Amino acid sequence: MGKSFDIGLILDFIPKLLGYVHVTFLILAGAILIGIVIGFLVALPRLYRIPVLAQIAAVYVSFIRGTPILIQLFLIYYGLPELLKLVSIDISQWSSMFFVIVTYGLSIGGLFSEVIRAAVTSVERGQTEAAYSIGMSPFVAFIRIVLPQSFAIALPNLANLIIAYMKDTSLAFSIGVMDMTGRGQTLGTTTSHFLEVYISLAVIYYLVCILLESIFSRMEKRVSRYERKFG
Amino acid sequence: MIQLRNIRKTYGKHSVLNGINITVEKGDVIAILGPSGSGKTTLLRCINFLEHPNEGEITIGEVAVDCKHASKKDVLALRRKTAMVFQHYNLFKHKTVLQNVMEGLTVVQKMPAEEAREISLLMLAKVGLTHKADSYPSQLSGGQQQRVGIARALALNPEVILFDEPTSSLDPELVGEVLTVIQNIAQEGVTMIVVTHEMGFARDISNHIVFMEEGRIIEEGKPQDIFNAPKEERTKQFFKRFTNEWSYSI
Amino acid sequence: MQLDISFIMTAFLEILQALPLTLAITFVPLVIGFGIGIGIALIRLYEVRYIHRVAGFYVSFLRGTPLILHIYIVYLGIPMIFDRLSAHFGWGMNSSSIPLIIFIFIAFSLNAGAYMSEIIRSGILAVNKGEIEAAYSIGMTTRQAMWRIVLPQALLISLPNLCNMFIGLLHGSSLAFSISLLEINGKASIVASTNWKFVESYIAAAIIYWGLTLIAEQITGLLEKRLRTFAKGGVA
Repeated sequence: MGKSFDIGLILDFIPKLLGYVHVTFLILAGAILIGIVIGFLVALPRLYRIPVLAQIAAVYVSFIRGTPILIQLFLIYYGLPELLKLVSIDISQWSSMFFVIVTYGLSIGGLFSEVIRAAVTSVERGQTEAAYSIGMSPFVAFIRIVLPQSFAIALPNLANLIIAYMKDTSLAFSIGVMDMTGRGQTLGTTTSHFLEVYISLAVIYYLVCILLESIFSRMEKRVSRYERKFG
Repeated sequence: MIQLRNIRKTYGKHSVLNGINITVEKGDVIAILGPSGSGKTTLLRCINFLEHPNEGEITIGEVAVDCKHASKKDVLALRRKTAMVFQHYNLFKHKTVLQNVMEGLTVVQKMPAEEAREISLLMLAKVGLTHKADSYPSQLSGGQQQRVGIARALALNPEVILFDEPTSSLDPELVGEVLTVIQNIAQEGVTMIVVTHEMGFARDISNHIVFMEEGRIIEEGKPQDIFNAPKEERTKQFFKRFTNEWSYSI
Repeated sequence: MQLDISFIMTAFLEILQALPLTLAITFVPLVIGFGIGIGIALIRLYEVRYIHRVAGFYVSFLRGTPLILHIYIVYLGIPMIFDRLSAHFGWGMNSSSIPLIIFIFIAFSLNAGAYMSEIIRSGILAVNKGEIEAAYSIGMTTRQAMWRIVLPQALLISLPNLCNMFIGLLHGSSLAFSISLLEINGKASIVASTNWKFVESYIAAAIIYWGLTLIAEQITGLLEKRLRTFAKGGVA
């Protein structure tokens, strides 16, 4: 390892690394958007028990749950360009950011689908029946009654997943994305103070984590205000 | 007018409704009585297709549906002619009391929000809950929730309101307030079909009693006839058991 | 380029050689982390003076930071501390004699301990209060009630989450390659770059991880069923 430990450097490094925090948020936001779409696409066939599609969805979820995110990242990074070459689309020169967002979106989507599924099934049948009884169509009943309630039920689990994936964005540098961790590697190389770099990174991730947690807990209070007995 | 013709419903091999015929005139209050498992709740839920009857014909006003070949459109048409009050209230948990009552008006009947609001407040006044308009269901007692459920049904101004054991999940001391509300709206001439275990209540508010057992109508007629001089042996036995429970107070 | 199916098989067999290392990286921290988890959970539940705040921060900080940083910080930090101590006490040993896997064990155990303390804590809180009172009523001490009545049930309640912890560690082990340990992911990347067959190698690795995960889920399912019948009626 490099030179002797200098705790003062951490204060020096944190602002430098913070300059790259937007990359983390960008990956996360892109992944969440893709993830929501994938989550519903995967959850709906299983909720409505559509044969074949439901089985494919189950295998997809099992694969996502069964493999490390790093392996998923490599599979998409090396595999997707090959796959698209078959239909004569060349994406091999696209930025590694693209591959990270796609991978994380596909991955978080698989786990989102499980949360969505559990939340939708936990809304009481009586809610749907009441919606039907006042003349709503199944689609309108789902959108207006079931979905808002499932969102409130699902939010804590969605929040946990999002925070977990936020931490996993630290692996994006392994295919060359210049995020905080990527910048940390170069900073470590130029200064030979890797340990201080990693401690600085840990502090930043921790702060981002606390920030996300407080945002989510505020959201939870908002969307589940109807459950409070008094107030 | 509401007509049920030869309604049949089976679950697998088990037959729950064996050809039920009922005619309800405008302003009628029909009480359906019978032991548990007699199929009375299933019959009620068949009317708005929360259960799909296997056979039979349902006519409500100008909507006539052949149950065997009911399309999604038919089902929706029936549901827009009816409203239901549930045993477990089933208020929309994420909406306030006022929003619960307005929901059907704005979303299903496409009424402008202002108008829907006015009607809803009127209905809430009728059930005595104007002051709870902005509360959430979780903040209400069971009796209050059920009164909101009644207001929600009433607001739609349906041809008929279906009551599915509206008081059986309430604490005894809360039953009275709900029965009073139902009695008041019955006197306004709202057509109702009520499945209930409250014998005295059924006798007082209905103008026609239907007694069911094992998916069949055993006996029907005017309340005073059925209660005072039942013809069928089963009906006699049933009412004997309940004689002591007639005392209720509103 | 076409997918070379037969090479997936070749890669699979080669990568499989790394299985013992991956399993070691998964199991050892699971066991050590479990011990840390129980300790931390009890410290926080009984609010042991002063140290429960430290314990709280430990849990929150490790859960709030990426595992890869835990690995790097332990990998760089421990030798530094070790060498200082060694020089001070004249142990005559150098940090370079510490096997790499020790750093992984330490980093993963600390990480797993933070997560498991939360799992165990919520398991303990889920145990019926009445049973604790019943234990006291027959004269058990706090310690006896905890070890004999509460913990066994808490662990049973926590079993699904502990299984997820195992899977989490299994997948986390793919990061051990970042300090050059040749576990499954490391082996896969070597096989990939020496044969220039990336997709095939990572598919092979994915199959191994997936298979291990499915086996773990199966075993947990069986275990849960077993324990639930043992504890018939005893566990809510």
